[in-house]
Amino acid sequence: MRALYRTFLSTQVITGRLAGLGALGLLAVLLGAAVGAGQATDPLDEGIGLVSAYGLSLFVPVTTLVFASAVLGEPEEDGTLVYLWLRPVARWRLVAAALAAALTVSLPVVVVPLALAAAATGAGAALVGATAWSSTLATVAYTGLFTWLGLRVRRALVWGLGYILVWEGFVARAGGTASLLAVRTHTRSLLARVAGSAPELVEVSLATSVALPLLAAAVAAALTVRRLARQDVA
Amino acid sequence: MIEVERTSKWFGDVVAVSDVSFAVGPGVTALLGPNGAGKSTVLRLLCGLTRPSQGAVRVLGQDPRRDPDLFRRLGLVPQQEALFEGIAALAFVTLAAELHGLAGARTAAARALAQVELDPDDRRPLAGYSKGMRQRVKVAQALVHEPELLVLDEPLDGLDPRQRLHLITLFRRLGEEGRCVLVSSHVLDEVERFGSRVLVMAQGRLAAEGDFHAIRELMDNRPHRLRLATDRPHQLGAALLASGTVVGVWVSGPGELVVDTLDGAAFRLAVAPAARAAEARLLELVPLDDDLESVFRYLVGAASRSPGAGR
Repeated sequence: MRALYRTFLSTQVITGRLAGLGALGLLAVLLGAAVGAGQATDPLDEGIGLVSAYGLSLFVPVTTLVFASAVLGEPEEDGTLVYLWLRPVARWRLVAAALAAALTVSLPVVVVPLALAAAATGAGAALVGATAWSSTLATVAYTGLFTWLGLRVRRALVWGLGYILVWEGFVARAGGTASLLAVRTHTRSLLARVAGSAPELVEVSLATSVALPLLAAAVAAALTVRRLARQDVA
Repeated sequence: MIEVERTSKWFGDVVAVSDVSFAVGPGVTALLGPNGAGKSTVLRLLCGLTRPSQGAVRVLGQDPRRDPDLFRRLGLVPQQEALFEGIAALAFVTLAAELHGLAGARTAAARALAQVELDPDDRRPLAGYSKGMRQRVKVAQALVHEPELLVLDEPLDGLDPRQRLHLITLFRRLGEEGRCVLVSSHVLDEVERFGSRVLVMAQGRLAAEGDFHAIRELMDNRPHRLRLATDRPHQLGAALLASGTVVGVWVSGPGELVVDTLDGAAFRLAVAPAARAAEARLLELVPLDDDLESVFRYLVGAASRSPGAGR
């Protein structure tokens, strides 16, 4: 398992990719600093707005998409997956190692800059904690979904961006029962609830907001295992 | 060790393998065929990398699609060139050894690399390796766990003659040890050097099967078509017909004659006397169907004309 994890991790750490996504993280910090430097009447609400609109809606899903869709998708496309697949290793171990590698890279790239951005707004420790929790939950959920997507389709980045913009963006804003099917609905709820403000973002209970994204990740992971066991390998 | 029974594989409308049956035991067996004949698909079916559309594949008594535990006993050199580019050869082969659960994975990897004459201490990433070195790394990762069955898809591609000889010797030795070594190739002379049993594939079908020398004889005895350049095509054609060594003659252009013969050796002996008798200058003699594709096409035709021919 450790050997698999090491291998997946080595394919994830690509300087150009890290630099590009690091720049998006830096932008989050700069936006947070801009909020902090302004004369906001309610810095907590402003901070929640920033983390929700930029962090949870764009930065987290896009960053996670880049890493997670590549972790199994790239080896599958370039033909190196065969060197891992054709071994006496349970398929769930392959998927677990891939998820762990994707999370190892995604979590610091996402959570650290967003937490710094939250701190830079000057809204206090509550927002920093809420940001860390909600962005971690979002990263876990999206990692599961996009790892499956990377194995399932070619051009997973395009499909993933479509999902983020159309499904998460459109459905999450539509409200009602449909919004329960968007990860963003739950992570925003968690953010607002833990931070203790912006009640208009709280659409589900605390338990639901944590459980459903985790369930989505688990189901996606199970589908990835099934896919890996059944699909053709180049 | 390998049983393939009435197996077909199609991808959409494209039939890659059609109703193929064969069995392979210990020793070296060569899977010969031109590019696109379906060799790689057969090897992928044997390794469980793709599922048969029809028929059954059993490898070491197991279904390769269902039981990953079979991979303990199987090593594959895939055709694709991609490797994990950022790591060294030793790390790559060690990874394979670790995934097979070998104790002393690093030592086993170093030994496998030495077997293919690569330096285990070479710290360069694989991205910097030549094609021949990459081929040998692929062989090392397939050998590291000493599998009973070794499946090699064009393993000699990109190797220099000395390395080819070394790997051919290695594969023969593994075969003599009782392992099953299945090697694909589209190079006839390469297969000859394995000195092995041969499966010939063409157009997705098994065209012939058996000892290499019997197959070679079958190939040599097929009809041949040749083009002759001469200053008196009509006269030379008549003389060749009179010699009885050709079954068809036609003038295909100015100063150009095409002949069909069933006996290449007799024709070669007869052509110069026929030219002399016709007072024709023989300027050129070109076989029109001596490429492998033609040979394989003929074998497929022979197999369909007479079931079991060449088998």
